[in-house]
Amino acid sequence: MTTADGLSLATRGLRKSYGKRLALDGLDLSVPSGVVYGFLGPNGAGKTTTMRLLTGLLHPDAGTIELLGKPFRRGDRKRLFQVGALVESPSFYPYLDGRQNLRALASAGASVPAGRVEELVGLRDRARDKVAGYSLGMKQRLGIAGALLSDPKLLLLDEPANGLDPAGIVAMRETLRNLAASGKTVFVSSHLLAEVQVLADVVGIIAAGKLVREGTLDAMLNDQGVVRVRVAPAQLDAARALLEPMAAVERTGSLDGDPWLTVHLEPARAAEVNQRLASQGIFASGLESGTDLEMLFLELTGGENKGSSEGTFRAIDIAGQGQGQGAGQGRGAA
Amino acid sequence: MRIFISGLRKLIGRPASFVSVGLLVGLLALILIASATAGQSSGARGAAAARQLLTFPGSYDFVLSFLFGFGGLVAVTFAAAIAGSEWSWGTLKNAVARGESRARYMLALFAAIAVMVAVGLAISFALGIGVALVAANIAGISTAGVTDSDTLARLPAMVARGWFAVVEQAALGFAIATLARSQLAGIGAGIAFYFGEGFAQIFLPDIVKYMPFAVARASVDTGAAGGGGFGGGAAAAGALSPDTALVLVGVWLVGSLAVAVLFTERAEITG
Ligand SMILES: Nc1ncnc2c1ncn2[C@@H]1O[C@H](COP(=O)(O)OP(=O)(O)O)[C@@H](O)[C@H]1O
Ligand SMILES: [Mg+2]
Repeated sequence: MTTADGLSLATRGLRKSYGKRLALDGLDLSVPSGVVYGFLGPNGAGKTTTMRLLTGLLHPDAGTIELLGKPFRRGDRKRLFQVGALVESPSFYPYLDGRQNLRALASAGASVPAGRVEELVGLRDRARDKVAGYSLGMKQRLGIAGALLSDPKLLLLDEPANGLDPAGIVAMRETLRNLAASGKTVFVSSHLLAEVQVLADVVGIIAAGKLVREGTLDAMLNDQGVVRVRVAPAQLDAARALLEPMAAVERTGSLDGDPWLTVHLEPARAAEVNQRLASQGIFASGLESGTDLEMLFLELTGGENKGSSEGTFRAIDIAGQGQGQGAGQGRGAA
Repeated sequence: MRIFISGLRKLIGRPASFVSVGLLVGLLALILIASATAGQSSGARGAAAARQLLTFPGSYDFVLSFLFGFGGLVAVTFAAAIAGSEWSWGTLKNAVARGESRARYMLALFAAIAVMVAVGLAISFALGIGVALVAANIAGISTAGVTDSDTLARLPAMVARGWFAVVEQAALGFAIATLARSQLAGIGAGIAFYFGEGFAQIFLPDIVKYMPFAVARASVDTGAAGGGGFGGGAAAAGALSPDTALVLVGVWLVGSLAVAVLFTERAEITG
């Protein structure tokens, strides 16, 4: 479980192409033991490809994987006995019921009784129904149950929240946090920042097959801290001149009332900003502090299609009136 | 062993298993009952042939040759469906991601198919003989030959050969569907191969006689059989001897499985 360097999972320079399409371009992941690691990235970033490499479904073109403290190469499939995984969509025999499917999975070794994992994912009452009649959310939950069946040290879940209802998402989050608390490592991918933000201890952001940011959520939030002050238009330039020595400042539009200035500063220094302005007779009509991980995520991944090899959905104005707004723009004061 | 048991369990509950046996028995029953009807009106054309089908011990040979002939086609589609769905449904992915050996998984799955083929043939044989007895009674033909000791003595060897030949055809469907990575494509290609081979035999008998379906037919063609099943001409001139054919059946069986296993071992699983 815990290795010399305390990592459950590490990749170095991982590369993988599908034909000519490069999916992973030198991925370096470091996943500490006993945490929930949020693997965040937009559609097509390479999350599923990473999961496939980690579970031996694919083999890397270059680079190395270290799984549970030892190199993971072609012949090392038995290491996966200690790994539970749900890769891409959950896959089952549709003509068998949930219990029979779990039993089929367990033929490759199970240490937790099927009934217990069914209970855990809330499928107890429907365990004897054929999977063909399951909703997406039920299949997803059965998939998570299957991943938990071997009581794995490392859990790899590829967008497990897909298809779950809000209550299911909350319950899953709870389950994963409990698992991490009991010393297991949970590596979970998502394309939703909000999801990762409430779930993960450590976050890695992937875009276009590369890791663009990795760290604890706390550190990342601090890095991305912002303090916003609202001042009268007449004092705007004076305020900006005062604050610029502290950190980068930019003006943020506002639809009504005084304009906002955004200072890229950790949230804890809001009072300092206020004091500095007040000392020169500038009194803020509004003061906010917080983080803007979403801004970072969009910046890293969205924009002019730079992050994703798949491209992304762009907002367009179908009626042809007014201005179309791209993703990431048009955010008012947070 | 556990994968094999699990594979067997999966196949027992599977609709394709029932459909396959149902198809085999249904069609056989249809032929036998139709023969009974034709055999009753002794003046009708073909009445003699129909009565011959229903006369034991010859009926044993007819039932077996039907099962080994048409059963081969059913086995191709059955095995193709099983192998193909492992890819289509992503269940192979599950096994591999859990650390299962790909080769062992495929071989265990095929072993389960081979056992299912044996069970399916046994059930179909029992039901087929039952229907043949009923049909003989309808046509008013004596069933005294059912206990013919000569026939009963050579039955086990015939059945064993037939099972082996049907399993070889199953292996072919298994390999084709694995290469196609798809249930439907595998079934389609398997059926096309079956009829394509039968058709090609008309033009290229010297080559086709070594092909998988032809050797399967030749390996069970141990004499008394009344020319059976589908897909083509029995014992043409220059046909392989049953024992040579049996060896070739083994070669095709092993070859097909090797192809399926090697392909799976090397495949990139992205389903
Ligand atoms: N089986 C495949 N064949 C070809 N290209 C693929 C395949 N799977 C994924 N890709 C491509 O690889 C890139 C990464 O995909 P993927 O790992 O599925 O991203 P994510 O899971 O982050 O959405 C994408 O450009 C995708 O189109
Ligand atoms: Mg994905």
